[in-house]
Amino acid sequence: MKDLLIRSLHHEKVERAPWVPFAGVHAAYLKGYTATEMLTDADKAVESLLEVNRLYKPDGQPVIFDLQIEAECLGCDLTWADDCPPSVSSHPLDGSDEEPPEVPCDCKIPQKTSGRIPYVLEVMRRMKEAVGDTTALYGLICGPFTLASHLRGNNLFTDMYDFEDEVAELFTFCKKVCIRMADYYLEAGMDVIAMVDPLISQISTGHFQQFMAEPYTEIFDHIRKAGGLSSFFVCGDATRNIEAMCLTKPDSISVDENVNLLAAKEITDRYNITLGGNIPLTSIMLLGNQQDNMKFAVDLLDSVKDKTNFILAPGCDMPYAVPVENCIGVAQAALETDAVREMVKNYQTAQVDTSNVVLPDYASLKKPLVEVCTLDSAQCAACGYMMGAANEAKATFGDAIDMVEYKYIYKENVARFVKMGVPNLPSLYIDGELKFRSIIPAKSELEAAIREALAKYQA
Amino acid sequence: MSRLYLITGFLGAGKTTFLRRFLPLFSGEKIRLIINEFGEAGVDGTLLKELSPVLEEISGGSVFCACRLDQFEKALSQCGVDETILVEASGLSDPTGVRRLFAKTIRFPHITYMGGICLVDAVRFPKVYATARSSVRQLAASDVAVLNKIDKANPEQLEKTRELIRGQRPDIPIVETSFGQIPHNFLEILAASQQGDRENLPQVADLSSRKTTITIRPEISVYELSKFIEMFAEETYRVKGLIQTRDRGLVLADCVGNVVSVTPMNLPEPPENTGKLTILSGPKTHLTQALKTACTWYRQYIT
Repeated sequence: MKDLLIRSLHHEKVERAPWVPFAGVHAAYLKGYTATEMLTDADKAVESLLEVNRLYKPDGQPVIFDLQIEAECLGCDLTWADDCPPSVSSHPLDGSDEEPPEVPCDCKIPQKTSGRIPYVLEVMRRMKEAVGDTTALYGLICGPFTLASHLRGNNLFTDMYDFEDEVAELFTFCKKVCIRMADYYLEAGMDVIAMVDPLISQISTGHFQQFMAEPYTEIFDHIRKAGGLSSFFVCGDATRNIEAMCLTKPDSISVDENVNLLAAKEITDRYNITLGGNIPLTSIMLLGNQQDNMKFAVDLLDSVKDKTNFILAPGCDMPYAVPVENCIGVAQAALETDAVREMVKNYQTAQVDTSNVVLPDYASLKKPLVEVCTLDSAQCAACGYMMGAANEAKATFGDAIDMVEYKYIYKENVARFVKMGVPNLPSLYIDGELKFRSIIPAKSELEAAIREALAKYQA
Repeated sequence: MSRLYLITGFLGAGKTTFLRRFLPLFSGEKIRLIINEFGEAGVDGTLLKELSPVLEEISGGSVFCACRLDQFEKALSQCGVDETILVEASGLSDPTGVRRLFAKTIRFPHITYMGGICLVDAVRFPKVYATARSSVRQLAASDVAVLNKIDKANPEQLEKTRELIRGQRPDIPIVETSFGQIPHNFLEILAASQQGDRENLPQVADLSSRKTTITIRPEISVYELSKFIEMFAEETYRVKGLIQTRDRGLVLADCVGNVVSVTPMNLPEPPENTGKLTILSGPKTHLTQALKTACTWYRQYIT
């Protein structure tokens, strides 16, 4: 629900914590594209982002998560990769550290036609049209500190020591770039402008106050006056800078797993700023299983007693290959917390008694049996699609096949899933054999699998 | 079993020349080089040609970003069972994530962590140390500091750099050199330091340090205790104490460099000094400010 997120960003009471999956290149993974394909092709990007919207039912979602868009327009070379965003490989303002950085002229500020900006704006407009009424859309901009480091390279740090005035001018230029980008993105329909500045965690609070307080205060003020909402994303252990970040007055701050979210929320609450985070990206989302993800999300939600000013989100840009069922599990925990809390309890039961579970005698069946294992197809979007595909197949094949749904919300099905060895949900079995796991089959794929099963009976 | 060495250092510290001296120490072994240079130029191509290690480059960000730790783990998962793995996290990379990965998990049981080396540019270090937190974190995560390019530094610069290293890490051995030259027993020095074997570290100077003790209330959880220590850990070289916690009972909190470990202790009854956290730091760190901020965040648990 877009409205829920907007109300949260306006610091109003909400009935549940809004959910924002930071699916950048992970969106491409859902449709089988590479990161590069998604980040250069508007059709593929829209298709991928709509899949995020369809499967994860977000209250808000980022449109393009690529911190190199502005740097590329300003002359940085990029190195592309299949499973993560590109990285900057050359710095146009690099040079001797004995000389101050040469600050670009304002005429170099990217235009709407520069670099990949037309592609980004097209994706934003199409996403706005497709899901903008129901989902709050985030336009992401590389923050002034990280942008300055893209342009200048590591000399930026010696510049802060040797050439304080000149480096401040460079930050001012980067601030102007950010403000211009915010205008483009707000015009393209973005509801929230997120300033993403991972390198903020690399400077001291003193340097943040000296160099970043003024640019950020001005950027957030500009966004507010333009009618947008704002967010401040940091990566890494930014704990010691959180309070200084609050003083720049963003509407929200997003932190990763390095920060103790509850302790940070005490600080952000004091400034009436919404805090988002901080599901661990690698240990839970990428490497955990579906139950780990549901448990983490439920525990996190339960630990935040007052849901005012809180957004459930991954710590940062999700890894490309996060298993789809893991994010489905988090989504379900966000949307149906009570039901998932019960599921997690069942999962935690040390010994699941499977002695009363009688599985069908698959070898003696008279016709194919399609078994759909779901969290709950009435509530979980992905499970609903899996069930929808199965229903469609049932309509096509009629009495030639049998079909049944088992929902994880019922405790007796937990034992069944344990006995069947169901790896994650939703899953679809034909005659006891796992055929589709998490990925919803296309109509033709499922029909082909059923025909194959039918052929065995006819033989 | 494969062996992993972590090499850190800010820009211009002379990593290529260091690698030229360091790699031959592993002559005859299968070498894998994992590079995560955030914002820096790549390793000299000639060097790679000469020594032909397997090269893995982590792109798209830095190991310090939680969002890119997956890239590092992917590179590690491709390592064999008998290799020498050199992880180079230089430039703006923060090696803390790498250290924690080996300190806290057994995700890579076939890899032994052999220690961290911090390359320091004798001329430019004072500047980057003053501005980049990653310099502090790189030094905090290391077992040996290689003070390079001493031929180019004037006596004042050299002394200032030594003072900064000693100020943060009075416990760390410093190898002073030019052109990346390292002593023949370099690996022994590293091993002794990594294992805390101070007696075999001839180059450690005085251990002039500050000792601070704070009292932690038993209502703290293990997670909160870890996060509390992490807030000032990089300003220390050792934090240790037996602490009563609300969720895991009595634990031994131990932090070397910036990696916190918390181990449950099964003692018949809590010793007298339970709840006292002892913090050892160099004489020139910003511990006071960092500790003050941490105590503000967790004020309900500090007496």
